[in-house]
Amino acid sequence: MRSPPETIVASQIADGLRNVPAFSSLETLDGVVPTRARTVKVIRSPSFSVRTVLLGLYTLVQYSDLLYTLSLFRLNVRYKQSVLGWAWAALQPLALMGIYTFIFTRVTTVATGGIPYPVFVFSALLPWIFFSSTISNAVNGLILCPNLLTKMYFPREIIPLSYILAALVDFFIASVLLAGVMTYYRVPLTWHLLFTIPIVFILGGVAAAVALFLSAIQVRFRDMGLAMPFLLQIWMFTVPVVYSLRSVPMRFRTLYLLDPVASLIEDFRQVVVHGALPSLRSLVFSGALTIVGLLLAYAFFKSSEATMADVI
Amino acid sequence: MIDIKVDNVSKNYKLPANGDAARRWYRRGVMRGSECVWALRNVSFQVREGEALGIVGHNGAGKTTILRLLSSITAPTSGEITIRGRLAAMVEVSSGFHPELTGLENVYLHGAMLGMRRSEIRRKLESIVEFSGVGRYIEVPVKRYSSGMYVRLGFAIAAHLDPDILLLDEVLAVGDAAFQAKCLDRITELRKDGRTLVFISHDLAAVYRLCDRALLVNQGRILADGLPRQVIDHYQQMTFADQGTSLQEHPSTARPAECTSVAFSAPGFPEVRTGYPMTARLGYRASTSIPNAVFRISIYWPSGYLCSQLTTESKARDFSLEPGTGTIEFRCPKLPIVPGLYRVDLEIESHGREIDLRQRCATLRVEPGDIVYGDFYIENTWEITEPVSA
Repeated sequence: MRSPPETIVASQIADGLRNVPAFSSLETLDGVVPTRARTVKVIRSPSFSVRTVLLGLYTLVQYSDLLYTLSLFRLNVRYKQSVLGWAWAALQPLALMGIYTFIFTRVTTVATGGIPYPVFVFSALLPWIFFSSTISNAVNGLILCPNLLTKMYFPREIIPLSYILAALVDFFIASVLLAGVMTYYRVPLTWHLLFTIPIVFILGGVAAAVALFLSAIQVRFRDMGLAMPFLLQIWMFTVPVVYSLRSVPMRFRTLYLLDPVASLIEDFRQVVVHGALPSLRSLVFSGALTIVGLLLAYAFFKSSEATMADVI
Repeated sequence: MIDIKVDNVSKNYKLPANGDAARRWYRRGVMRGSECVWALRNVSFQVREGEALGIVGHNGAGKTTILRLLSSITAPTSGEITIRGRLAAMVEVSSGFHPELTGLENVYLHGAMLGMRRSEIRRKLESIVEFSGVGRYIEVPVKRYSSGMYVRLGFAIAAHLDPDILLLDEVLAVGDAAFQAKCLDRITELRKDGRTLVFISHDLAAVYRLCDRALLVNQGRILADGLPRQVIDHYQQMTFADQGTSLQEHPSTARPAECTSVAFSAPGFPEVRTGYPMTARLGYRASTSIPNAVFRISIYWPSGYLCSQLTTESKARDFSLEPGTGTIEFRCPKLPIVPGLYRVDLEIESHGREIDLRQRCATLRVEPGDIVYGDFYIENTWEITEPVSA
């Protein structure tokens, strides 16, 4: 007679005598229950509030190891089973540099203030690609793993945020290339390059805010993901990547620079190419705007996170 | 101490709107509030530290919603849930795996998703790998794993979580018998350690074995809360009433004969026990005379396999049913089946043709009696015999 598994198992529990010793190696089974402080968690209906943000940040800190592991994982799987591998990180900005250089030096011309166009465009493409690739990946991040969202709990913001680090590594690879291009065109490398660190840091903050906001919408309305490539294309032409800020008419400048991405990319180029100091005023302004935007986006994300599993 | 406190919790789901956005907006505007479903309504319960709570109910009764709420996968629409301590949900243990990563990388990734620190994973790594039995394949991408290895590795990680509160949802339904036994061993160990358990299952026998308390959920409300035995009784009564297979009424009336009742009892004892006598009484009603009638009581394991049958079928004895009502009584001097909950089919046949078949219309609960391991009881006596001297 073939016996169904459930019943074997049931009788094992009933007598409790036939413990398979497979578990004896586990530390928890030594009969010692470690007494430890237990955290108390209260689950309530989601709200757009300060409490949500604070609670979210507290949990995020507890899961910081996951953010780290997941970021590593993005890097790991990114170029798996591709022949060119990491070369892709350099290929994309190089190709764009080539095509823009052709268009803006042969087909038409833009004023670069005496800087060779390849250096001019490459120095802005770098932060722009960092920003746009973070966002275009992060927006689809959540909907690519519906299984995780409906089966497990962890702070969901970790998924869009994990794309930032991966984009940052690509950014570093391309930076080495930028240094090469600058040396080739005899544009001096100065210590002022260190100022790119706060600029990239703030830009990462803007990317995080936008990614959180848009990916929370994308879970509900897939229109977001469909609109994304084209929105990013438009956005690129509203920031000084292929042209210079000086080409923007004076009366539009203030409006133009309200976009922190525009002012940050301009600052980046000023620092890298001209060896200039970034304007403190614009850094503080975009920094403050980023913090406010990040908090709002986070509150929005957290308040919609609670029902993501229901709507995905 | 109370580990889980669910206080007046309700959850409503908006029904997924089909079609394009325009139609969705139209509905939202015109049919405001008409397409939401209450998965839970004003549910309150508590689980004490060290308690094992089973939750039973039909599909769609709200069991999974409770589990999702407890594990924070989704939030309640109203009400509040308080959880004291580290909670781990063992639900589809491999769902966090990424096919391109190696087993080792997946251990780190999945462990982190379950809320483990990297240092904790590093410390337990050896034990996890050993437990999973994956061996040297740990360095191979999991897309090359067999499905068994996949599940074993997933469970190995979950088993090392060391939670204060454990949530289980039908994990026992996956994997082979050895894997299930392993799962249950681990769960039993955690129970002995005084961890709190919430167990959601269709397997009533498992709930009955594992839990000290049970909840019956139906249509988003708690119908019963108490000892597993009572709650399961309640559930089964409800089930039969629900499905219209009650022995009092029959969907179609045009039958020459039908079963009207079934009862299991143990003469001289309050309940049916392994190794003790059992009597089964099958009541019937016949409207015409039925030649060559055969009665059958089929007893099924919880898994759905046929366990055994009581039947009047016999080569030697042929009997015809006369119009009227009556009872067939089967007498078993010693019941050889192990403790558990069995589902029962009733059947009347004539010349091999089915006259009445009542599928899964009753249950047979067998209590522990004589000590028995394995699948069935072999009747025996024993004594010490003198060694045969040469």
